[in-house]
Amino acid sequence: MAEPYEGSLTTEYIGQALELKDEDPAWVVKWPRSITHFHTYGLLTPFFKGLAEGKLLATKCTNPACSQNSTWLPPRADCPDCYARTEWVEVPNEGTIYTYTMLDYAGIGIELKTPYWQIDVAIAGVDTMFKGILLRGKPEIGMKVKAEFRTKNPTRTILDVWWVPA
Amino acid sequence: MITFGKGNLRVPRWSKRVFMVAGGCTPFRKYFPEYKLEELVMMGYKMMLEENQLKMSPKEIKDSIQFAVYGEFADHFQDQLLCEAKIHDYLGLDPLFNIGVKTGGATGGAAVLAGAMAIASGYANCVLVAGWERMDEVDTRTGNFYISTAACKDFETRMGRIYSSYYAPMANRFAWAYNLSEVTRAKVAVKNRGYAMSNPNAQQPGHHTVEEVLSSRMSAYPLRFLECCAMTAGSASVLLCDEELAYKLSDQPCELFICGGSHTLRVADRRPMEIPLLPHEEPGMYDELLRENPRYPGFESFLASRFASWLTYRMAGIKNPLDDFDLVELHDAFTISDIQTYGDVGLAPYGKEVDYIESGDAYFGGRCPANLSGGLLGTMHAVGATGIWQAAECLWQIQGKYDYFHGQEKWWKRAGKEMPKDWKSLQVKDAKQAMWISHAGVGSHVTCGVLRKAW
Repeated sequence: MAEPYEGSLTTEYIGQALELKDEDPAWVVKWPRSITHFHTYGLLTPFFKGLAEGKLLATKCTNPACSQNSTWLPPRADCPDCYARTEWVEVPNEGTIYTYTMLDYAGIGIELKTPYWQIDVAIAGVDTMFKGILLRGKPEIGMKVKAEFRTKNPTRTILDVWWVPA
Repeated sequence: MITFGKGNLRVPRWSKRVFMVAGGCTPFRKYFPEYKLEELVMMGYKMMLEENQLKMSPKEIKDSIQFAVYGEFADHFQDQLLCEAKIHDYLGLDPLFNIGVKTGGATGGAAVLAGAMAIASGYANCVLVAGWERMDEVDTRTGNFYISTAACKDFETRMGRIYSSYYAPMANRFAWAYNLSEVTRAKVAVKNRGYAMSNPNAQQPGHHTVEEVLSSRMSAYPLRFLECCAMTAGSASVLLCDEELAYKLSDQPCELFICGGSHTLRVADRRPMEIPLLPHEEPGMYDELLRENPRYPGFESFLASRFASWLTYRMAGIKNPLDDFDLVELHDAFTISDIQTYGDVGLAPYGKEVDYIESGDAYFGGRCPANLSGGLLGTMHAVGATGIWQAAECLWQIQGKYDYFHGQEKWWKRAGKEMPKDWKSLQVKDAKQAMWISHAGVGSHVTCGVLRKAW
């Protein structure tokens, strides 16, 4: 029977020695991380494709046996009320501000220049609200807004849609 | 519209009564380099074993434990998967079984609930519930981002990368609907940070003024830095027992009732529904409120808190929280979440939360003081430990041990602080029953726990 390895093995340290952040009272070592995830949009991929085409796509449960037949934005592929597969529907690119905040101090990696307005938008015919960014103007509850899209050089994220005063 | 099926509303019933007899915790700090995580957990665990006047030695109690439940919010922060295994081994509890519980900010409460289930089912008669978080391995803004991944990563996280920006829209909507001023919000920060002055373990104690709160830096409008809890390193433990062991171990056991509720992580997805009424609320009492603002719970309220208290009040036979509780510990991660919760748990009717704060009932000396521990704003939010530590603070109040655990030099010394000369006791006289809310996400998971004097 063959040996698992032929000959002798040697190795060398190919990592990077850790720097010290603190030495007193305990050693605290600096331990860097750099990680890339490969994240799927799964059955919601048409929504993100829709943004690049300037469309706001929601999903609707059309199952006649469902007690709610809700329309979802953000979309969901499966109805949580009856478990039927939902259908894609295009919803109006306009709505009213339900509530808002101004984001001043953001966590690391923020892709938008702070400060900016974050809004939650009520859209006619949609059972949920839809969180977004108000690009211009000052929000008020009840204010009418319309959606705009980043169709050139899309980020392929939710930041491909934003709102402006209607 | 959320609707319930017939089976959904069964009120939980323990098969065996469940008791809490002891609690322990570490000091809470932003940065705790002196100790490794398992060493911090050991500190809180040993305090639980040694300082609760239990009638067995720490070794005998260790020998009585059959099961452990551990609460940890985020593997990101610890940068260690299966931290539970390391902690359990370090506490010398192998090969007893342990499980880890993760429900965001409600992890501590959910860990207590899981421990109680083990007692109630007969799986064990002595359960350790311990929780921790060490949020000091990363800088603050990285920590802010980690926490924001507890918003929906596809549709919310990119909009702010900080959790205050998911609560702030609630604060603005609540102010619009129920006439909440920034001054009332600031009073909550002043109150809870002020109470933290009496707690040796507190991370952010301070005698602030409303003006100071309102001139602190803006995080997400309208929430300012002094209205937000901080990131913490620390741990807490409690010991749960069945009835027989509880009285063997302690002359002051408290009976435990706890249930939970949940709601979609994305607040904006919350479809309107009827308000589930608590035992003291009358049908029709919210008709006018719903005419003006028909979308319950909307951004104003937390269905998960209402549902958790709806279940727990029935389980524990609570008729009216304001009459039946001597104190509460609420999840004041932000001033607004504290204020919203008074309506959810029925200490005030929905829409009257502001009047409740202004009435003084939530203050020491009031009818039902809230967050005498200093709360999350003043004392700690080492997330996996928080709901466990809140329970310990409630337990100590009912046992009349507030001064023992907060007013002794040794605890201040342990925390590396000097005990203030004007230290003030916040012991509630003759406290018999306390409630605590452990709360996650923007109300995604909530437990409502009740501790009742049982001697």
